[in-house]
Amino acid sequence: MMADEATRRVFPTEPASHLRPRSRSVKSLVSTPESSFWRTFRSSTLHPSYLHLPITSLSFSPNSSLLAAASSTSVRVFSSLSLSEYDPDFDPALFATLPLPDLAYSPSFRCDGALIAAGCENGAVRVFDLPNDKPPKTLRRLNAHSCASRVVSFPLLDHKLRLFSAGDDALFVQWDLPTETPLFSVPGAHRDYIRAGAPSPVSPDVFVTGSYDHTVKIWDARVDSGASSVLSINHGHPVESVLFLPSGGLLATAGGNTIKIWDVIAGGKPVYSVETHNKTVTALTLAKVRDDTRLLSVSIDGYLKSFDFSRFKITHSMRYPAPLLSVAFSPTGTIRVVGTNNGAMYMGIKKKKDEFEDQVGSDDFAWSVPLPEKPTSRKNIRYFKRGQSEKPSEGDFIIKRPEKVKLKEHDRLLRKFLHKDALVSVLKTQQTTSIMAVLEELVARRKLIKCISNLDNDELKLLLSFISKKATQPWCARFLMDLAKCVLEIRAEDIRSGGPEMAVHVRNLRSMVAHEIQVQRSLQEIQGMISPLLVIAGK
Amino acid sequence: MIVGGQSLVTSPPVFSHDGKKLLVCTGCTVSVFSTTTGMLITELEGHTERVTSIVVVPVAGTVGTKFSNYCWTASLDGMIFYWDFSTPDLLKKVNVQLPVHSFVIPNILSASLGRSDKASQNLYAFISVEDANKEVENGKHLHGSIQIYDLTNSTRAGGVLAETHKPETLAVSKSGEFVGIKKKQQLNIWRVPNKNLKSVNMKKLKLHHTRTLSCLAFHPTKCIVAAGDVSGRILIWRGFGKMRHSQDGGGKMKIDMGDRPGVRGEDDADSCSTWHWHSSEIKFLMFSSDEAYLFSGAKEGVIVVWQLDMGNKTYKPNIGSPLMYFTDSPDPSLSCVSCEDNQIHLLRMPSMDIIKSISGIKPPLILSELQGDRSRVTIGCDRSIGFVALPTKDYRIQFFSLLDGTDISHLQVIERNYDPVDETTVFISLVEVSDDGSMMSTVEEKLPEMGIGGLISLKFWIRGSHTGQYTLSTIIYEPHNNAGVSDMAFCPGRSMAVSTSYCGNFKVWVNNSSFIHSGDEIQEKGGWRCQSVSSYKEIPMTAAAFSGDGSVLAVAAETKITLWDPLNNVLVAIIGDSLGPIRRLAFVGSSEYIMSFSSGTKADLVVWNISNLSRHWSYKLLVEDICCTRSETRVAVLALLSSSDKSISAGKDGMVLVFDVENPIPVSTWFVKKAKGGRLSFINNKLGEATDGKLLLAYINGEHNYVLFDPSNVKEQEDLIPKSARRPQSYAHDENVSHGYASIYGELPSFDLTKARSSDSIPFVSSKRPWETIFSGSSHALPPLSKLCSPFLESLLEKAEKQTVLSQ
Repeated sequence: MMADEATRRVFPTEPASHLRPRSRSVKSLVSTPESSFWRTFRSSTLHPSYLHLPITSLSFSPNSSLLAAASSTSVRVFSSLSLSEYDPDFDPALFATLPLPDLAYSPSFRCDGALIAAGCENGAVRVFDLPNDKPPKTLRRLNAHSCASRVVSFPLLDHKLRLFSAGDDALFVQWDLPTETPLFSVPGAHRDYIRAGAPSPVSPDVFVTGSYDHTVKIWDARVDSGASSVLSINHGHPVESVLFLPSGGLLATAGGNTIKIWDVIAGGKPVYSVETHNKTVTALTLAKVRDDTRLLSVSIDGYLKSFDFSRFKITHSMRYPAPLLSVAFSPTGTIRVVGTNNGAMYMGIKKKKDEFEDQVGSDDFAWSVPLPEKPTSRKNIRYFKRGQSEKPSEGDFIIKRPEKVKLKEHDRLLRKFLHKDALVSVLKTQQTTSIMAVLEELVARRKLIKCISNLDNDELKLLLSFISKKATQPWCARFLMDLAKCVLEIRAEDIRSGGPEMAVHVRNLRSMVAHEIQVQRSLQEIQGMISPLLVIAGK
Repeated sequence: MIVGGQSLVTSPPVFSHDGKKLLVCTGCTVSVFSTTTGMLITELEGHTERVTSIVVVPVAGTVGTKFSNYCWTASLDGMIFYWDFSTPDLLKKVNVQLPVHSFVIPNILSASLGRSDKASQNLYAFISVEDANKEVENGKHLHGSIQIYDLTNSTRAGGVLAETHKPETLAVSKSGEFVGIKKKQQLNIWRVPNKNLKSVNMKKLKLHHTRTLSCLAFHPTKCIVAAGDVSGRILIWRGFGKMRHSQDGGGKMKIDMGDRPGVRGEDDADSCSTWHWHSSEIKFLMFSSDEAYLFSGAKEGVIVVWQLDMGNKTYKPNIGSPLMYFTDSPDPSLSCVSCEDNQIHLLRMPSMDIIKSISGIKPPLILSELQGDRSRVTIGCDRSIGFVALPTKDYRIQFFSLLDGTDISHLQVIERNYDPVDETTVFISLVEVSDDGSMMSTVEEKLPEMGIGGLISLKFWIRGSHTGQYTLSTIIYEPHNNAGVSDMAFCPGRSMAVSTSYCGNFKVWVNNSSFIHSGDEIQEKGGWRCQSVSSYKEIPMTAAAFSGDGSVLAVAAETKITLWDPLNNVLVAIIGDSLGPIRRLAFVGSSEYIMSFSSGTKADLVVWNISNLSRHWSYKLLVEDICCTRSETRVAVLALLSSSDKSISAGKDGMVLVFDVENPIPVSTWFVKKAKGGRLSFINNKLGEATDGKLLLAYINGEHNYVLFDPSNVKEQEDLIPKSARRPQSYAHDENVSHGYASIYGELPSFDLTKARSSDSIPFVSSKRPWETIFSGSSHALPPLSKLCSPFLESLLEKAEKQTVLSQ
């Protein structure tokens, strides 16, 4: 019945660490493929303007690897090629500065990257060209908005003469660029500021706007239906950002601290709601992670989260030291930029080749049907000369060699019942959890006292220095305090005659005890202050 | 009635002649297992005491099939039976009249019972019997003796060969030429003559050693005998008995006194070599069938294979338990080793891989450092399916099905390497399974060394898809700071548990893992969390129980029972004092009664009425366990009889009483053996088409033998519990037992049930001796003078009675 008795597991001494409470940092070290991907980005900080003005919007050019950042009264364009060639003495590789009459908003590149449009606090929308050699110049001035034009966007598809804009005056306009005239204009498209908008990836005439009146509306310029939209969705919070997912059928909206995914084709059916941010989500963007696409979201709480919308799961999150307002991810998949409210841009530039990339590359070829390998027949001389290097073929049943249990030095010594040596070897590693595990194992074997009395002077110093460092840490204090007392009692003679080094350890121990007493006393004071409050609160 | 849980390792098992079957002594029966599947084939039932040895009749060549499945068995009831174990049929009975501890048939190859037509030989057996009534000679208690018995004629052949202090185990060489025993520090070896086997012409050979010997084995063909001693040494005598036996044969005596390395004194052997690897008493020695190797084993759980010529050794580690016996089969590629944890491993021979294991119920955990009541190891019981969860020595839990009598699964609870040699410092002290078996909690304790580094942790497990498959849900280290967990209870119908502690508080744990699917961040928050902590006057909490609907939680604070609302953590009521600290509580079905018992010097068993917070009835009994049904008002109590009570026949130290809770007179009573450490539980009967839906009472005794029976089926008991338990009604006429009955129920006549009921308005009422407690309690709750008067006068009367007794 229990034939597995022969293959009993070997348990190393380091148990599931009950000693230290599991911390967040420990958890984030758990490596998933996604986190290893994000770890290949090298981060740097950039201050585009030396004023501490928020970076309200970031945008990557679709083809020429330019990055536009809206900050104060100008849109700054950086060449991301020069960014990616990382320079330790980092000089902002400024490509151009586009002046605007007031605070700049929402820079948007045309699909070919030749033009850039931006909105502005006083409602003006400017279109600039970006020649490589000459300084940029203003091509068109579009004036229709009476308040800040917060949303300016070219269509995603190849339609070079159109531009969408929307603003705080709740006006939504589709422009014809050559004539500077509105083609399709909806005054009062929303009942509050329009702060978000996005073009559809499948049609040049479809645009979505999101407003502070909690609604998200989809507009189709081909359907002139007055002020009514094609579809209206209630997000439930003031909408800060909207985005079509690549298929064009799903829509992501961000507002409040939730991100919601909607099915547009099904008439605006809610699909999923993500509530992992603690504060308002300010911007969304798409990112290419290896073969998949992720939805990146940034929030005032300083977190950037990567959301896998195919599995509806948060796959990664990163923390930044400031509230985040904008995010952009380069179409090449190598640069990640977030903009904060204090004028700093945090950039992540892919520094090395992803170890998974090769695999992914080779997977592409796996689609082609592999040629059937010529079976080596028994007549062939090679059949008989097969050696160790022979690879198993498809249908072969592979008998695995039993995996060798990897044991650490102290584990090996413990298995040989060399208790003192194990203790000394683990003390030398200075890993607290391992040391505690070995100490507890020795207790379980009833060998700790013997070990302590057998330590020679140098080893005793090791133990004393460990105790004096760690004895007051709360998660091992109960054990180590007792141990310290025991060591001092058993080895009093050796410590007294141990010379100056031993005296140093004992002095450290004493100062540690004094410090701990002080800490305890102050804790008791705090407890004395709090407990009456608690009693009152309880009533 | 189902009886089970016998030890498989009381005696060495024996293979059948073809190696397909394994005969194992299991209590009064012999179980025949298949070696290919490890399953039970049949049982030989007939002995009335423990079976001690089995001899399988070998098949010599052509005679073949007829005797292929015949065996002899000997038992402590003084009988030797001859079986055909394929059918199984009892063929012959031989009455030896003395308990047989070991028995061998040396000439079984040449003589056989069935061949009486041409056989001139009788079948002689060497038996090792115990004669307890033997008179003391020269201040020595020689209880054991070795005798020869003629099985063909059922007569004793001659006198006593040897006398020993206690009955010894006989060893025989494969050829049947030598029979030997160990006797303290020496080996006694007899050469069995081919003809005319009489004790007078048997010559005894002695080989001496300086330490007490523990086992011996004969080489299959050569004159080599190996013996192990208590210190772990193995001695190999080569060429023993040449002088004595050759002298017998008329040959010339040749002794070369100078060249006999290792041989002591006048011992008759060519040489004696000593091997030492084991650190403790050698449990078995066995020569391999190819005569080149010697197997030895001891407590370490390692089979050592010694190369006979050189003394080189190889090891088979990882058996995982102290070893007991090693048996080889006629099939050279198969043998088996018996372990102390009630398992028999079948080994594939040259490589010694375990191919199958036959495992019985695990023996109880015996702790060397008992710290009073604290280290009480409890076993969990699943009522719905009828399995028990037993903590084992190797840090696991064994799930054992009582109804099927099979081992279900094992669960590693503590992630530690088990070494049989180590003393137990880490152990599972408490196992609690919820009523439906979906949840389990275990408490493990690590004893500190000189006050350093003790650790108690509580683990919650959740059942997987199979029975007995549990996955770890939550670990809680030091659930009550440094103090031990005294009891655990699961709330029926809810993911809630309570743990009580000796440090004076109890904690209610809830499983809120329902949030688990709402995102990977929240997944961590799932699992068991402490919902509330409460204490009552800082009194150590000793037991806990939930009512049947989970709305009331009863926690025993030493002698008082506190009732709580588990959801809101509010103290509802207190029920007053029992005599000693309460050990366990149980709600009686859905009725208004709660039952408690306390142990120690002031042991008692009390049924409390919750509705009027008073004592309903009570007994001064030393109780080991109680259990209640969930729906009915029946309760079962396992009580220990006091050792001074001589009237109860030997071995029976406890009794099982079934009460209806309304009535203090037991419905039925059975006397049982080894009740110390026993457990009771009602389990659902799923076996029966006959007994539909009726509850079975399971009694597991201190050695983990168990019996399942239907307590309401009176007839059945009388038929089927003849050996271990009997109905008291039949005892009542037996003057011997009625005395014991009266001594137990001494208080019964003076039982003032009516008084307890009449004083319902008083919250604290003790029923038996009201004058002791009547003045205790708060002054405003004192009973009126009219009620105080009569007990007070009674107390005076009591004293007067005592005085009169004294004066008489």
